[in-house]
Amino acid sequence: MSAARAVAAFVRRDFLQERSYRLSFSLGAAATLANLAVFYFIGRLFGGELAPGLKPYGTDYFPYVFVSLAFFGYIGTGAGSYSGRLRQEQTQGTLEAALSTPLGTPSFLAALTAWNFLFATFELAVYALAGVFLFGLRFPAADWPAAALAFLLSAACFAALGIISSCFVMLFKRGNPLAWVLNNFEGLLGGVYFPVTVLPGWLLAVSRLLPVTYAVRAFQLAVNGGAGVRAIGGDLLKLAAFDLVLLPASVWLFGLSVRRARRTGTLGEY
Amino acid sequence: MEIAARGLVKVFPAPALSGGVPLAALDGVCLEARPGVAGVEGPNGSGKTTLLKALAGVLETDAGEVLADGIPAGAGRLRELAAYCPANPRSFYFRLSAAENLRFFGALAGLDAGTAAARAAGLAERLGLQAAELSRRFDRLSEGNMQKISLIRAFSRRAQVLLLDEPFRGLDAASTESLLGLIEEAGRYSAVLLSSHSPQLLRRAAGRVLTMRGGRVTGEAA
Repeated sequence: MSAARAVAAFVRRDFLQERSYRLSFSLGAAATLANLAVFYFIGRLFGGELAPGLKPYGTDYFPYVFVSLAFFGYIGTGAGSYSGRLRQEQTQGTLEAALSTPLGTPSFLAALTAWNFLFATFELAVYALAGVFLFGLRFPAADWPAAALAFLLSAACFAALGIISSCFVMLFKRGNPLAWVLNNFEGLLGGVYFPVTVLPGWLLAVSRLLPVTYAVRAFQLAVNGGAGVRAIGGDLLKLAAFDLVLLPASVWLFGLSVRRARRTGTLGEY
Repeated sequence: MEIAARGLVKVFPAPALSGGVPLAALDGVCLEARPGVAGVEGPNGSGKTTLLKALAGVLETDAGEVLADGIPAGAGRLRELAAYCPANPRSFYFRLSAAENLRFFGALAGLDAGTAAARAAGLAERLGLQAAELSRRFDRLSEGNMQKISLIRAFSRRAQVLLLDEPFRGLDAASTESLLGLIEEAGRYSAVLLSSHSPQLLRRAAGRVLTMRGGRVTGEAA
């Protein structure tokens, strides 16, 4: 079957399921806006003067964290949604049924989180509208083509990390060390809430091993600093290298873990 | 389509550090099935479900092979050829309607929405399931109607191999009769294998019955 048909079927299914939990949707949107407001007031409290680390980005704190949160909110969808969705399928008892069909691994992966990415796109639009109309943000210097390239490379990279993370769910059901790292250290070490230049040397060295560091920096420089593709070329190349390795590796590893679950008879377990 | 199993072995490993022992579920199963209906009987734990799952490509065996028309078929190929109805209806999205569930699983099996809906409606009528039940949320269906939806999911694929695990479970007398009719019809174009703990129903449904014990086929009766 075609991946497009699988994606359409999963999106429809997930939309209908989400629609059946109406309150959850409204609360999620309210939480997003409340979260933004916290950083807005932190930004107002400290202003731009106390943030020399933000100079390369040509902005003060709130636009910096706003861009990071919007960006990280989207690419984080890739990192977190694969394992989340897979776990949901396991506990519902539907994983084995879905994988009893002719659906292949790449189609399954493309379809599994299609709704999450669609919803994340909607959230991104809400962020953008709130930023412009509620918080009065403007990005006059932004180089949007460079930002789009950084965005695409980052989203692919984080989706691959998310797929690798979901292999742990497939094999061990609960207990996911990669998700633990992604959830707890990406924000701290990747420059989401503050530029990584404020980290001590040894943590800075660790942060250089993480794709999120290059993703956030490239996107920030493009949106807030107006940097073009050439200016952020180093970061883009590193992201492309991560993609080149992680994307095929993630699909291969996921296929292996499904096969392992079929062999051990744990596909239907949770 | 002729489906043949040659020396299928399946041992489920004990969970790591559990202190348990591996479970030998299939111990060299051999069988052949061509269009028609074959039954599988045996006591609890004899390997019936494992066998059906292996033939459906849901499980991968440790040894042995399955041939489809004489050609070795891996798990992926078997999932294309076979439709599997599990014994437990806990394999649907409870917050979606029965019809939406059938549309979703139909799409994964390659059916477009119109075909899936038309086949679902036809099969529902045959099984005595009212149209209103198809639009009801899955978790609000009775146990028997859940089983009917599970059967519709498998039958609507019109697969070359149809594997039914305890298909009569939860059905009333009239629906059981209807299902017997559907199985007979499916057997005209598919190799149908079904398991049941009811010897009477198994013999009514199947032209031949295989007996399993300890993971082996120990007998066959026509």
